Amino acid sequence: MNIHQVLTSFSYGDAIGNETLEIRNFLREKGYGSEIFALLYHPVYAGQIINYLEYDRYSDPNNIIIFHFSIGSPVTEKFLNVPDRKVIIYHNITPYEYFLDYHRVLAKDCYLGRQELKRLTGKVELALGDSGYNENELKESGFLRTGVLPLVMNFKKFDNPVTPVLKELFDDGKTNILCVGRVIPNKKVEDVVRVFYCYQKYFNPGSRLFIVGEPRGFDRYYEALRSFISRIGVKNVHFSGHIPEEELISYYRLSHLYLHMSEHEGFCAPIPESYYLDIPVIAFNAAAVEETMNNGGILLNKKDFTATAALMDQILTDSSLKEKILRSQREALKKYSQDRTGQVLLDYLIDLKQQGGVQNVEQ
Amino acid sequence: MPDNFNHSPEGFISANKEIDVNQVMEAVKNRIRERKESGILKQSEIDDIANMELTPLPDFLEIPDIYQPHLYPGTNIQEASSTPFVPLAFHPESETAPGWRGIGKKILGKTRKVLFPLVRFMTRPIFNELKQLNVDLYNDVASKISQNTHDTDYYKRLSVQGKEYIKLMHNALNNLIVELSKLRIEMELTKSKLKTAEDKIEFLENRERAVEKKIFTQPDAHREP
Repeated sequence: MNIHQVLTSFSYGDAIGNETLEIRNFLREKGYGSEIFALLYHPVYAGQIINYLEYDRYSDPNNIIIFHFSIGSPVTEKFLNVPDRKVIIYHNITPYEYFLDYHRVLAKDCYLGRQELKRLTGKVELALGDSGYNENELKESGFLRTGVLPLVMNFKKFDNPVTPVLKELFDDGKTNILCVGRVIPNKKVEDVVRVFYCYQKYFNPGSRLFIVGEPRGFDRYYEALRSFISRIGVKNVHFSGHIPEEELISYYRLSHLYLHMSEHEGFCAPIPESYYLDIPVIAFNAAAVEETMNNGGILLNKKDFTATAALMDQILTDSSLKEKILRSQREALKKYSQDRTGQVLLDYLIDLKQQGGVQNVEQ
Repeated sequence: MPDNFNHSPEGFISANKEIDVNQVMEAVKNRIRERKESGILKQSEIDDIANMELTPLPDFLEIPDIYQPHLYPGTNIQEASSTPFVPLAFHPESETAPGWRGIGKKILGKTRKVLFPLVRFMTRPIFNELKQLNVDLYNDVASKISQNTHDTDYYKRLSVQGKEYIKLMHNALNNLIVELSKLRIEMELTKSKLKTAEDKIEFLENRERAVEKKIFTQPDAHREP
């Protein structure tokens, strides 16, 4: 039996893309034939990813095809038309309203994504969410057999040391605050900047903010953000843009605190990544964030910029509080060990194979 | 869902049970109070920042077609103006101007009346010539009109063509406005990209210096032991 995966877009450094690779490697280690098919993919992966239109050559009714579903695209139609046994991993779809003012095409794709999710109901044998939050959405959409598959995360790569040049540049005694994620409207990067403004102005002038993520595709949002930063006069805000993995690890290692103010997250991979690197995390409680935090770090239930800045200062100056937070994070991290997550997926698939088709699949 | 979170009384933060959130919140409040008392932290500033919105450049797809409601009534997407078109009224200046100006005009009028025979004598040849010219012009126009009045289709076609030309012209103007607006947005975005590129170049220069420092000031740093 082969277990293949298909997805719409395979971006470099993207959490879904990383998970797809990790799953493929895990399945291959366990002796299954496994390939990845995508509509769009980064040239770096040209030898590893196959165009989704070529799937017919690999298709077989005994195979299992896993669709990483996160946006509306023609891949859904293709997925529905193959005879393989079908599983989806739902990574959530950002509500289209966030993109209306900045990216109409993406807003449309997100809207269509929700419609396509309804179309998948009754056509797949198993629907997995990468968080309980996502699983609830699947249940609400009408999927009968659902489950949770925590994002497969390989933390080994985070054991690499800091890039010497970045260390030279940023390891200068300043307090570095980090925010990782694409620079897009639902991430509310402006709120991170607001909190940092308060922190820098009222608590720690010797501080710096790293905004690590890709702004391309959201030029007007990025422009508005930069203009906002210059209007309020906050200093030392560093936009890294899209960076290679080793530099991302360096930014993590050079940071003293992770701040996340996003208003919609289907999972939020930077939180466990920060846990792994012993960086205290403060994150706003929205969508799946509380679940991903898993009782670690500090969860914000309200957006109060001054109080958040004071809280950051408290954590960074009170070593016993910081140690307690880090302890809670280490405990929370156990949920995300790679072996466990890979095995959970495999258990689901073996169970699926043994049980045969489920009743909710339209024949 | 996590069940082990400890919530602060105001509900501002939640944390692991091991962390005393009340104590943390007390410390946070003290920090804010200290800054406020020392005059560093002003609530008005915080409110300003909190209320300051992002001001993104407009999406050129949102530029309205201002002519469409008038040129294609009934087919317009946007709501046409609720008030009907009212032509501007022409108000000629009153014949009898009030005050000193009116008196002056009256005096000049009487003087002209006295001098009229002389003026008439002096300008008679020109007057006759103008009169003849007017008559010729009238005859010319009247004859052309009489020739074409039977050809109503020609005038209808002219009228329709004229209307279409006006529509085309207005559409062209609208497109011109849209294109100019797009150019303006592109210009602003290019400015922003230029600023980003400047920042990146500055960052790369710093990286370059850091690399140079690593290589040249510590000559043995890159060699294998």
